[in-house]
Amino acid sequence: MSGHDSKYFSTTKKGEIPELKEELNSQYKDKRKDAVKKVIAAMTVGKDVSSLFTDVVNCMQTENLELKKLVYLYLINYAKSQPDLAILAVNTFVKDSQDPNPLIRALAVRTMGCIRVDKITEYLCDPLQRCLKDDDPYVRKTAAICVAKLYDINAELVEDRGFLESLKDLISDNNPMVVANAVAALAEIQENSNRPIFEITSHTLSKLLTALNECTEWGQVFILDALSKYKAADAREAENIVERVTPRLQHANCAVVLSAVKMILQQMELITSTDVVRNLCKKMAPPLVTLLSAEPEIQYVALRNINLIVQRRPTILAHEIKVFFCKYNDPIYVKMEKLEIMIKLASDRNIDQVLLEFKEYATEVDVDFVRKAVRAIGRCAIKLERAAERCITVLLELIKIKVNYVVQEAIIVIKDIFRRYPNTYESIIATLCESLDTLDEPEPRIDNADELLESFLESFPEEPAHVQLQLLTATVKLFLKKPTEGPQQMIQVVLNNATVETDNPDLRDRAYIYWRLLSTDPEAAKDVVLAEKPVISDDSNLLDPSLLDELLANIATLSSVYHKPPEAFVTRVKTTTQKTEDEDYGSETGNSESPAHIADSAASPPTSSGAPYAAARQAAPAPASPAHAAAAPVPDLLGDLIGLENSAIVPVDQPASPAGPPLPVVLPASTGQGLQISAQLTRREGQIFYSLLFENNTQSPLDGFMIQFNKNTFGLAAAGPLQVPQVQPGTSAGTLLPMVTFQNMSQGPPSSLLQVAVKNSQQPVWYFNDKISLHVFFTEDGRMERANFLETWRSLPDSNEITRDFPGIVVSNVEATLDRLAASNMFFIAKRKHANQDVFYFSVKIPRGIPFLIELTTVVNNPGVKIAIKTPSPETAPLFFEAVETLLKD
Amino acid sequence: MISQFFVLSQRGDNIVFRDYRGEVPKGSAEIFFRKVKFWKEDGQEEAPPVFNVDGVNYFHVKVVGLLFVATTRANVSPSLVLELLQRIARVIKDYVGVLNEDSIRKNFVLVYELLDEVIDFGFVQTTSTELLKSYIFNEPIILDSARLSSIGPTGLFMQGTKRMPGTAVTKSVVASEPGGRKREEIFVDIIEKISVTFSSSGYILTSEIDGTIQMKSYLTGNPEIRLALNEDLSIGRGGGSAYDYRSSFGSGAVILDDCNFHESVRLDNFEVDKTLTLVPPDGEFPVMNYRMTQEFKPPFRINALIEEAGALKAEVILKIFAEFPSNITSNTIAVQMPLPKYTIRASFELEPGAVGQTTDFKEANKRLEWGLKKIVGGSEHTLRARLTFSPEAHGNITKESGPVSMTFTIPMYNSSRLQVKYLQIAKKSGTYNPYRWVRYVTLANSYVARI
Repeated sequence: MSGHDSKYFSTTKKGEIPELKEELNSQYKDKRKDAVKKVIAAMTVGKDVSSLFTDVVNCMQTENLELKKLVYLYLINYAKSQPDLAILAVNTFVKDSQDPNPLIRALAVRTMGCIRVDKITEYLCDPLQRCLKDDDPYVRKTAAICVAKLYDINAELVEDRGFLESLKDLISDNNPMVVANAVAALAEIQENSNRPIFEITSHTLSKLLTALNECTEWGQVFILDALSKYKAADAREAENIVERVTPRLQHANCAVVLSAVKMILQQMELITSTDVVRNLCKKMAPPLVTLLSAEPEIQYVALRNINLIVQRRPTILAHEIKVFFCKYNDPIYVKMEKLEIMIKLASDRNIDQVLLEFKEYATEVDVDFVRKAVRAIGRCAIKLERAAERCITVLLELIKIKVNYVVQEAIIVIKDIFRRYPNTYESIIATLCESLDTLDEPEPRIDNADELLESFLESFPEEPAHVQLQLLTATVKLFLKKPTEGPQQMIQVVLNNATVETDNPDLRDRAYIYWRLLSTDPEAAKDVVLAEKPVISDDSNLLDPSLLDELLANIATLSSVYHKPPEAFVTRVKTTTQKTEDEDYGSETGNSESPAHIADSAASPPTSSGAPYAAARQAAPAPASPAHAAAAPVPDLLGDLIGLENSAIVPVDQPASPAGPPLPVVLPASTGQGLQISAQLTRREGQIFYSLLFENNTQSPLDGFMIQFNKNTFGLAAAGPLQVPQVQPGTSAGTLLPMVTFQNMSQGPPSSLLQVAVKNSQQPVWYFNDKISLHVFFTEDGRMERANFLETWRSLPDSNEITRDFPGIVVSNVEATLDRLAASNMFFIAKRKHANQDVFYFSVKIPRGIPFLIELTTVVNNPGVKIAIKTPSPETAPLFFEAVETLLKD
Repeated sequence: MISQFFVLSQRGDNIVFRDYRGEVPKGSAEIFFRKVKFWKEDGQEEAPPVFNVDGVNYFHVKVVGLLFVATTRANVSPSLVLELLQRIARVIKDYVGVLNEDSIRKNFVLVYELLDEVIDFGFVQTTSTELLKSYIFNEPIILDSARLSSIGPTGLFMQGTKRMPGTAVTKSVVASEPGGRKREEIFVDIIEKISVTFSSSGYILTSEIDGTIQMKSYLTGNPEIRLALNEDLSIGRGGGSAYDYRSSFGSGAVILDDCNFHESVRLDNFEVDKTLTLVPPDGEFPVMNYRMTQEFKPPFRINALIEEAGALKAEVILKIFAEFPSNITSNTIAVQMPLPKYTIRASFELEPGAVGQTTDFKEANKRLEWGLKKIVGGSEHTLRARLTFSPEAHGNITKESGPVSMTFTIPMYNSSRLQVKYLQIAKKSGTYNPYRWVRYVTLANSYVARI
């Protein structure tokens, strides 16, 4: 034993580095070992000890494993910054990889793979080749992972040297650890590749199912996850698979249980026998419930998964509602999830018990939890018609306790119940109105109480913004229904208040819309304002069926915790691009990355945030311009909506300009008070970026740039903060902002509109519109085999075929055109001659696996191109044609 | 696969930091800590264990006040990562004996060595202390036992009871004893966490036992072990609802809803004679986890009452009945009850001759707290509290106070009646007779009485 390691952290007054250098070169082994430990200690606390590189590497040639490991640890850390010196270590690595001691062989291969220096990579191949066939399983399992490391550095090299084949051979290895690592490595390589590399055949399936029983718990997870991609041929095979996997449900490791559940759920889809399915449901229930006995962190993951599972198969846990009752000491994040599941499992049979619980929760301390419990009662009322009355009784009881936020929430909930069951429970309005006056916060004074409107209007200017909005709408409604003198006076007061005396842009905008509507066409106003509200139905936060399908296929992954499809949050960038970002990051943290900024840009999935754009709007200094004429023309209205001065209207479809190398201007300097922004979406290495150029034509430097995107069809949003340095007057700065998709999606028909807000520390917020060209979504894995193409084409109904002519386009150089299209992930499949015409077939894929099959007909060198497409998603066709047009014109 | 692993102290200091893939920016630990600390503006709400900031997914678990964190950019299995974080904590504890900031800092070289074997390129390799022993060369540096603080449920055995050797559970699995020889011993702990909710009229609304048979072996040569459980033990309640109670108090078989076993356990004879056979790996591990909703006798009954007593005054009476045998003593009992928001004062009256009891009114969150050092089986304890309210309007005092919650530990007692009938160690020689410790403990999980 060598005394306390912490002594290595102590520093001497004398120069530390020279002293260490001396010790590293000491003739005594122990002294050298101690010195290396000191170096590592300094490294872990962030000191720069890279200058000792040569001295440390000199200690590498030792038989002492403890010392060797320390040196290797140092090497991994500094090889990147000292690539030339790292070459010095190569000889020892190669030698070590042939050492008689298997631990040293494995260590050498493991460490070499972690050193991401190109020059080292070349030397790695031979030792790796040997180690993949080593006699010792420890070496083989390390080598298997090393293939994945190498693939990450240089995929081509891995394929050229045949490492993928060796890796596949390891699936049949007799050591389960080796099999598990080979599977894990292959699965990851497959994920980052567009070609089929690791496809599970029925043969591999049976091999892996056998290995499953002997693997370590972690290996079982790797294997189960890889196998879950396997599609059984028929019900019989599915049943066989399930039978082999079911014993895993008994495992003490929660990850194994959840991965097994995923696999069983997937195969169940194929099983036709209801008996078998019922039996499986029965078998899955106890292990799922047992997950709730684990640590709260695991419980949370389990609950998020169970939430999905009960949406598909409510029977599994129909009798277990009690286990989802909240425990007193559950963390809040667990309680919230339990509530969700209780609502989903609530039925006419257990509703009394459930209501009793909710009522109890509604008197607890945590405000958010209490609010959610009250809402839960309302949702049960909407879900279970027969229980609605009991729910309302409970809500009224809660209102009587007269706790502020309970009353607020209860009234909001009752409003929805009114809409769900019209003309049934209105008799309780009187009771509600009594309670309203006891509130000291006015939030829930919703438009129920029309008759009380006038008294509320007296305090109009003092009310919070959303109450003002509700009052405004309510008054307009009242006026339209009862256009008599009283309401007319009221509305004038309100409109005047809301347009002139307010500084809230939302309120002002809405007031102006009403004003203009009322003054131009009261009948149209009626249609708009008094339109039927959509019927409230029991949502129980149900997910869209296709999304649910996708999430269920992703049980036991992060996707199932966030309830978002993987592409919405997985942003693995190739390591090469990451490195630069990495370094930028360090310098960036100091200034603009204030905590507030992090908190607000972190629209993290679990907090279901749809707010980034709203946040940006709030941040906008509200332009107080009371001078708007009431009968202003329509464009002005739009200007108001976007929150701009009427002199600074952004033309709506401005950036339709050709997409040549210079980026299209999206915010002209004349609009941006001297700031000009050019921008365009681009796709690089599988990732979508927003390429931006800021030109500063003002007199002062601009900094603190931030960006937000409004909801859009594809849910495009920034994957990280905008990183733009200070822009000096007369200069410009460009940046590539990585984007994520499906983050905050807008509803309605697909649209190419992308609304962007950009802000800096010196100017107001600028809003501009950009156009989303669909081709940035064309994914790298869009290539289809010919047979697959034909089959897909046939399987799609003719109604999904859409044709368009492009009379102005000429295809002159076929080769070049195909290359260009391929570069944009529009893949050429085949070509045939038809009379004098050439017919080309292409395939394209956009996220969520939506394919486009394209038939392009043209006469080379003659103007006129006809394109016919088939896709399961015909509503995106217009966007697709636009994108192809751009690509062909290039 | 994970990208980084790190351990942060409560203050957010980096104690351990290991980057396996270099694909997540270096500032991740800071971003994580800030996010967790200020999850909600008021700092009251706890961050969920999994969240995403700027495309980086963060996982964390809290172990003895330390934050064990992993990051990744991929769509990994979250239960795998969270479970892994717990296991890393356990492996480190197995090696260094006791887990805290100090012991990790003192053993940082060992911890990094462990981390390199446990995870390679973000893929878990093994978390078995037993397997790791062949690849780890650093010796642990053991903290002074005098400064040890007890950790986890098994730490409870150190309190006072002479039958159990205090330092055993915090002993490193790999380090040799100062005398040079290891003491041959094995610990089997049956730990049960019970959750009970009583209705306002004293009926049991829900009850549940989460149990673990935990083992920690210090036997050399890893001999085979047989553990025999109750012969009448059965698993699975068949069909039907979770709450069809089929047996009454104190009689009939022990019926577990569900259970699972450590991978080293062989169940060849389990169906026949309810014995588990295993070769215990080194280190602490759960042999079996079980869950039971079969009706059982709760160790404590709680009786709580709150009544108006004149203008702006009320009286609270709390009574606790210990319903376990008198040769058993429960310790560190704490009873809590939220009081109405407008409570401004509380005065307490304990029963005459009460020893080792404390009372408190927490002004900030309006909570009554009653602590008892120990309660002997069969006894009964009462607390009276007089409350004074502020003159402002107030509502229903019963609705706005409670529920009463209770925490306690009861050594050498378990509610499920699950037992280890015998613990057999395959003998190496006639004289081989290692120490065997079979210990029971019952803990309160969520023990609540509504008013």
